[in-house]
Amino acid sequence: MKRHLAVPLSAFAIAVAAALAAAPATADETCNSPYITSLIKGQEDYVHVWTLGVEGVGDGSDKLVTVGANPKAKDYGKVVHTLSVGGRGEAHHMGFTDDRRYLWAGRLDDSKIFVFDLADPAKPKLVKTISDLPKKTGYVGPHTFYAMPGRMLVQALSNTKDHGGVTGMAVYNNKGDFVAKYDMPIGEMAGVKGDGYGYDIGINPAKNALLTSSFTGWNNYMMDLGKLVKDGEAMKRFGNTVVLWDLKSMKPQKIFAVPGSPLEIRWSLNPADNWAVVATALTSKIWLIKPDAKGEWQAREVATIGDPAKIPLPVDISITADGKGLWVNTFMDGMTRYFDLSNPEAPKETYAKQTGKQVNMVSQSWDGKRVYITSSLLANWDKRGEDNEQFLALYAWDGKGLKEQWRIDFTKEKLGRAHHMKFTVKPAAAGQKG
Amino acid sequence: MRRAAAAALAACLVACLPAPPPAPPQVPLGLPPLAAPADNPPGAEKAALGRKLFFDRRLSANGTMSCAMCHVPEQGFTSNELATALGVEGRSLRRNAPTVLNAAYHPVLFHDGREHALELQVWGPLLAANEMANPSVGHVVARIRALPDYAGLFERAFGGRPAGVETIGQAIASYERTLLSGGSRFDRWRYGGEADALDATEQEGYRLFVGKARCASCHPVGERAALFSDFRFHNTGVGWRRVYGASERVRVELAPGVFTEVERRMLESVFEPPIPDLGRFEITLDPADRWAYKTPMLRDVALTAPYMHDGSIATLEEVVAFYDRGGVDNPGKSPLLAPLGLTAGEKAALVAFLRSLTGGNVAALAKQAREPGASGE
Repeated sequence: MKRHLAVPLSAFAIAVAAALAAAPATADETCNSPYITSLIKGQEDYVHVWTLGVEGVGDGSDKLVTVGANPKAKDYGKVVHTLSVGGRGEAHHMGFTDDRRYLWAGRLDDSKIFVFDLADPAKPKLVKTISDLPKKTGYVGPHTFYAMPGRMLVQALSNTKDHGGVTGMAVYNNKGDFVAKYDMPIGEMAGVKGDGYGYDIGINPAKNALLTSSFTGWNNYMMDLGKLVKDGEAMKRFGNTVVLWDLKSMKPQKIFAVPGSPLEIRWSLNPADNWAVVATALTSKIWLIKPDAKGEWQAREVATIGDPAKIPLPVDISITADGKGLWVNTFMDGMTRYFDLSNPEAPKETYAKQTGKQVNMVSQSWDGKRVYITSSLLANWDKRGEDNEQFLALYAWDGKGLKEQWRIDFTKEKLGRAHHMKFTVKPAAAGQKG
Repeated sequence: MRRAAAAALAACLVACLPAPPPAPPQVPLGLPPLAAPADNPPGAEKAALGRKLFFDRRLSANGTMSCAMCHVPEQGFTSNELATALGVEGRSLRRNAPTVLNAAYHPVLFHDGREHALELQVWGPLLAANEMANPSVGHVVARIRALPDYAGLFERAFGGRPAGVETIGQAIASYERTLLSGGSRFDRWRYGGEADALDATEQEGYRLFVGKARCASCHPVGERAALFSDFRFHNTGVGWRRVYGASERVRVELAPGVFTEVERRMLESVFEPPIPDLGRFEITLDPADRWAYKTPMLRDVALTAPYMHDGSIATLEEVVAFYDRGGVDNPGKSPLLAPLGLTAGEKAALVAFLRSLTGGNVAALAKQAREPGASGE
């Protein structure tokens, strides 16, 4: 069923131009939508961690955990606030609205989307719960929340029919009302067949380019990782494509074959650049998406991450503000790796440090001096037993080495599994930091 | 006056006589007559209500699972994408989801035969903590009674009876009894008098099936109909192998055509260890039943991969090769299994025959399943 609701996305283009004119820099803590205003280029005051509830740990519920991040504050490195949303629904990623006032946080299992008001970032308030994604779209697993002017573009991972990977994107307005849906392509384009899968969104407004990547469906992301690896049928159900969309029309333009589940997409934040990178989780590669000499967008493998035969499982990546470096976390070996991206055609790993027994998300400050790490990938993909460390850790980066500043044990603090992070500043300071 | 009294008496007699039993449902070619329980005769309204329930994800503890999430119509009413199923919050199950097609004919249900009627079977997944995880029967009943889109449906389908432990099971069972797949090319050839419905290779495969390959020992074919199952329990070695014969390294496909190997011990120490599964023994406690599982029907077998009770065999070719080897030797292995000595051509013919067992109406059944009104969402 492909039902494209008429959406005046051309209106986006106008709003996009306005947003760009108002915001010369194009990102916040380097991995946000380019449409987000009030950028933080200085010291963040808080880190918000979308945390998965664990049965038997505290109240067992998913929660937004707020941690003090300013070294001059008394609450530095301390949990200052927790907000349970009730139950466990596979809390995963978050995204700010374009005005940065609200934080949308999704759950991949029950598909609920929670909207937190950050007017007082020390005490986020839950102001809305959106529950109609499956009913309105047939999709489940809201993963990426990508701000657009006045709207939120939501990339889902799965569907209500078979819990497989065929899915799509949904558009909501900032009030939380459903606006439109866009199925991921399953047809063939220039010899590459779309798999219909989704994962991340990356937009380059100047190029009118929207990139999407492809992970897997509910059946797989909810399955114990050891069971999954042993299940030959399930392992065949991972995405192997990146799709280039025409942003204004929201129509797919080209499908790239990128085998092995391409996940996070990062456009270079350098205004002079016109490329993006994506890492493949299963095949452990970095791919570059860039126009060729004829101006035709192409995707090609440019680097290897660790030893692919050992399935290190590269997960989150974080690009530096100047587009010259890339942090890569590999989940299985707990390594945080730095790749020199000076030549994006040939990235080179120049530094690596084990930051945990399992690591997933990595977020760096705009100035690149602070690198935050969390541990949880998915509830049923996290390791068990002693290797199941759950933490938020801050490292200082001086260009030579990572030095741990503090680490919060999320199990000891009875919080749960630490996953996605977002930064905020106190309202009074926001203007100076932007 | 007398005439009026006679008319009243006649009317009373008609009204007071027990209703004639409803005609048994028409079954597709190749299937035997199907008898529904006396207390749950077939009914269109019940079946429609059962279909709605079958597809309703709200009937799981957190609203994520329905019967159809593991018994996917477009995947042969099973799941082609998983060896073993998942439940609420991704909790692991140890067995492959069996197809619901023709489940109405199974005298006992589940791979271990622990349940005895479709009406009762329904409650297994609804209440199992690793499936739909509802906390109680009453919770399910109360939830359905509270959903506005179910208002009056049970009462209309069940002569005034509301949603309850019996009627919920009866409704879903009534729908499942409509999922009868037959009229395959094999049926047309064997029971329909169409001599050319099977080609020469497929006919050779059939002869092997009932002859040299001895498949029909457990998957019998009748004179007038075929269910392709003796509905008994056999140890083929698949279950035993998971305990005693698993390879030390696991071959993993990272992307199409890209493989690596990882140590099974690492996977099972860092992640979830295998869930014990002793098969029919868990029901009978008879040591002879260790690792024995119910013979599956073979209708629509081309649509229901992966195979065996644990989904451990991906293709029909591999299944035939497995039986050609005589299964996996173990102390309790069925004496019916022994190496067959099939040639490559014979194995190919067997597979061709198995592919002819796809019901002529199965695509229509999948389509009907998705017609409006199925899901509560």
